[in-house]
Amino acid sequence: MIELINFYLIPGIVLGCIYALGAIGLSLVFGILRFAHFAHGDLLTLGAYFALAVATTLAVPALWALPFAIAATAAAALLLDRLFYQPLRARHSVATVIASFGVALMIRSVVQLIWGPQDRVFESGIRPPLIIGDFRFAERHIYIVAAAAAIITLLHVFLTRTRAGKAMRAMSDEPSLARVSGINTERVVAWTWILAAALLAAGGLFLGIDTQVKPQMGFNLILPMFAAAILGGIGKPYGAIAGGLVVGLAEELATVPIGGTALVPPSYKSAVAFVILVAMLLWRPTGLFRGRVF
Amino acid sequence: MSAILTADGLVGGYGDADVLNGVSLAVESTDIAVIVGPNGAGKSTALKALFGLVKLREGRVTLLGEDITGAAPDAIVPRGMGYVPQERNIFPNLTVHENLEMGAYIRRGDISTAYDRVYSLFPPLAERRRSPAGTLSGGQRQMVAIGRALMLEPRILLLDEPTVGLSPLFIEQIFDRIVEINRAGIAVLMVEQNARYALRLASRGYVLAGGRNRFSGTGPTLLADPEVARSFLGGQA
Repeated sequence: MIELINFYLIPGIVLGCIYALGAIGLSLVFGILRFAHFAHGDLLTLGAYFALAVATTLAVPALWALPFAIAATAAAALLLDRLFYQPLRARHSVATVIASFGVALMIRSVVQLIWGPQDRVFESGIRPPLIIGDFRFAERHIYIVAAAAAIITLLHVFLTRTRAGKAMRAMSDEPSLARVSGINTERVVAWTWILAAALLAAGGLFLGIDTQVKPQMGFNLILPMFAAAILGGIGKPYGAIAGGLVVGLAEELATVPIGGTALVPPSYKSAVAFVILVAMLLWRPTGLFRGRVF
Repeated sequence: MSAILTADGLVGGYGDADVLNGVSLAVESTDIAVIVGPNGAGKSTALKALFGLVKLREGRVTLLGEDITGAAPDAIVPRGMGYVPQERNIFPNLTVHENLEMGAYIRRGDISTAYDRVYSLFPPLAERRRSPAGTLSGGQRQMVAIGRALMLEPRILLLDEPTVGLSPLFIEQIFDRIVEINRAGIAVLMVEQNARYALRLASRGYVLAGGRNRFSGTGPTLLADPEVARSFLGGQA
């Protein structure tokens, strides 16, 4: 039981937090810009590399690099929107979806070009785990979960308390009525990219701290992030949080060995997200929390 | 008295097909103006055209003496014109209060008197202010929709079929409120299916057909016109 918690449940929650950070942005972008953003994973990669660059050049702890990574990722997202998505805004969303595939490839190539194809790590030294009774908590896991919770709380405050946040929800609800109310929709779009990029920079940094920083890291996350967003109901940012945790936990718990053999061998655990994705699309396309049909 | 909203020879529509083939109208600041006509006459399209939601090929729209032809809604709203679409006219996942707040989005400064006015005009909304607007009844949703547009404290309010799909009880309530809004000094221009009822209230009425003006006059004059009654109001005057 203790082993289940230490080796599967806690890593599952950590992974779930990272998925949630990505899935919230995916859900926001889908709700407001009305397209499935396939470059989302690679934008997370970019965020991780920005954080790594700052942490190594300034020789500061990884978490300190987060504000810089957020600013740089947000700037990158705004630039990509201006160059590739905004010109296609009036067209059918298929055009933007395809464009986002192209953007994904570009980001990945640029990352490899600048930082090289090899795996990198955040230097933190060996830290002893925090031991409470039989429970063992890795220090990084504690602050990843705490920071993710803090970021999600800030997002909640932003969406429910600020004028820009409410305008984002309004535009996600009824874009034409938002226009009719005099809401500047391009400004709302900019806010959406800034928020999505901030969440991705955090997700990328946390994944980099937990594992390694590599050019494929975000691309590998696209499937579980979409599964989480759809599970939570597309266009429902709070649903995406629950979706992220469910997918993260499901992936880890599916690899628990029962009587010697695991339900899913650890190297195939990403198949779990795929199964969840397909099952939701087939049987409950509005997600658990009645979002929009994908 | 000069008109606060005028349209002169509007021609335009969606894509290549024109829906409007020459619509003109003028609304004064004390008016309740009503547009009636058969289905497909271009009534809703005319309203959208005034609000910059339809591409006009010809014609001119002025608001408070200024040319607003071709201006986008976010440029028109600050000049004092509010618009309530027929459908999808509330934000269902936002609370009633947040819906009203979005109506005042472009306003700076204190908007508490605007809230008070809307809540006293529509008391049921005050009780439900923390509920998501999507959970309200049809009549209450319509109140939210009108309330949202009123938050701007506009000079003129455009209403697209404000009573569509409502029960007779709510229809009467909504019309009563529209009269009250008008008495408070806001000009009203509405498209209405309940033509007879609406024309009784109208200080100015327009009958559209085929995207053109066919008749115009005060509401009672139109109601009394046997030709209007026969062709457009379904029966005798």
